[in-house]
Amino acid sequence: MKLIQISPSNPSSLKSRFRRRFLRSLMKIKTVLPTSSSSPRRIFLQRSRRIKTAADKSLALAVGSSSKRAWSRAILWKIQYKAKAIRRHRPYSFRRICGSNNRPNIGNKRFNDKKKRKKKKRHDDEEEEIGEADQLRELVPGGEGMDLCSLLDETAHYLKCLIAQVQVMRSIDQFYSQSQSQSQSQSHLN
Amino acid sequence: MDPPLVNESSFSAANPSSYSLAEIWPYPINGSGAAEVGLRMGNMGHGFGESSGHRDGSAEESTVTEQSGGGCGRKRRDLSSEDESSKIVSTTSSANDLNDSNGKRIKISGSKNENGGSKTEVEASSAAGSKPAESSKPSEPPKDYIHVRARRGQATDSHSLAERARREKISERMKILQDLVPGCNKVIGKALVLDEIINYIQSLQRQVEFLSMKLEAVNSRMSLTPTIEGFHPKDVGAQSFDATGMMFGAQTAREFAQGSQTEWLHMQVGGSFERAT
Repeated sequence: MKLIQISPSNPSSLKSRFRRRFLRSLMKIKTVLPTSSSSPRRIFLQRSRRIKTAADKSLALAVGSSSKRAWSRAILWKIQYKAKAIRRHRPYSFRRICGSNNRPNIGNKRFNDKKKRKKKKRHDDEEEEIGEADQLRELVPGGEGMDLCSLLDETAHYLKCLIAQVQVMRSIDQFYSQSQSQSQSQSHLN
Repeated sequence: MDPPLVNESSFSAANPSSYSLAEIWPYPINGSGAAEVGLRMGNMGHGFGESSGHRDGSAEESTVTEQSGGGCGRKRRDLSSEDESSKIVSTTSSANDLNDSNGKRIKISGSKNENGGSKTEVEASSAAGSKPAESSKPSEPPKDYIHVRARRGQATDSHSLAERARREKISERMKILQDLVPGCNKVIGKALVLDEIINYIQSLQRQVEFLSMKLEAVNSRMSLTPTIEGFHPKDVGAQSFDATGMMFGAQTAREFAQGSQTEWLHMQVGGSFERAT
């Protein structure tokens, strides 16, 4: 169905759409001047984070135009939410949000485990998968509170798009470094 | 009352899991009495739970069966029209071959909906369309038109059928995922496969992070230190052409043609513009 649409039949469409969007946003990021007050390392981190966000966003948008997927919607929503939070209290919230992103809430997880343990009694044949499924729920954006069936569906789609994203980003990186090395060698020759 | 009609048209429309009537009731189709009919209806109503549907009681036999298949949710209410005798029959016969809880539930549903409309003739016809010979041959092996996986010992109530359908769906999706993740085909066991998938996704996400850092490094270097790149805006076009040709040589020309070239050019021009200023 939607899965087949993307990868085997026409692999180019999603990739090219993503590439177009991502390059556009890369250009935008490049033109944004760094804030003068922060250290270079922080600028670097901030900018690479921005690039990652741009990559995610353009991936989600590239997917979203053809099919409505929970994970793409979740990515877009999260980016929006973060942007709003940053705008609201600028000086400290960015770090805080990213911190919360890096390590998931432990207390919440424990609560989830309890919930799942109740479920175990009902489907005791899936006992061993439940921990994995929870992990998967954390990894796939928008996977929280999804039943296993649709979670796997989302995961398959997300995985395909992620692979495409990595490929495109790698090709862009390759191109960049190639052109750079070329120009460097040229300048040396000159 | 021909079985294929009941199979195809009625249930596949109502059920997203595409279980046909025959799949759900792996018993032979024989015409028989009204008491068993009531029983049938009770079981079916119980089995399908709530899905919307409509039917008119005055329709002739075949259409009634069809519609009742489509509107399986209604049967719960139609159940109410059963009289006490049919209820008794249902409980006893279900005690015969189904488990006790099923029978109890039927009884409950029957008593719950006692104020529903009485459409006995509909029930009679529709149930005649469905297969009433349950009590007589409880464990007969399924015939050729029956696709259910229920074997002798397996439960045939709708919950376990739905569960089985769900499990099949899950394993199907697992297979798709296994094809996506390299080296995952050899792994046996759902938990291990899921582990592999998780690891793969994590690695990909980390790769994206790493690549964005790398891109940032290159990106900023290109924009901040314009003197390193010693080419002028005039030879930008030719150079980007070369570079794109090189890097997309392995990929399909179609993809390359789809605006990516212009994009690269645009990027190059933009970058050089920035560098020039």
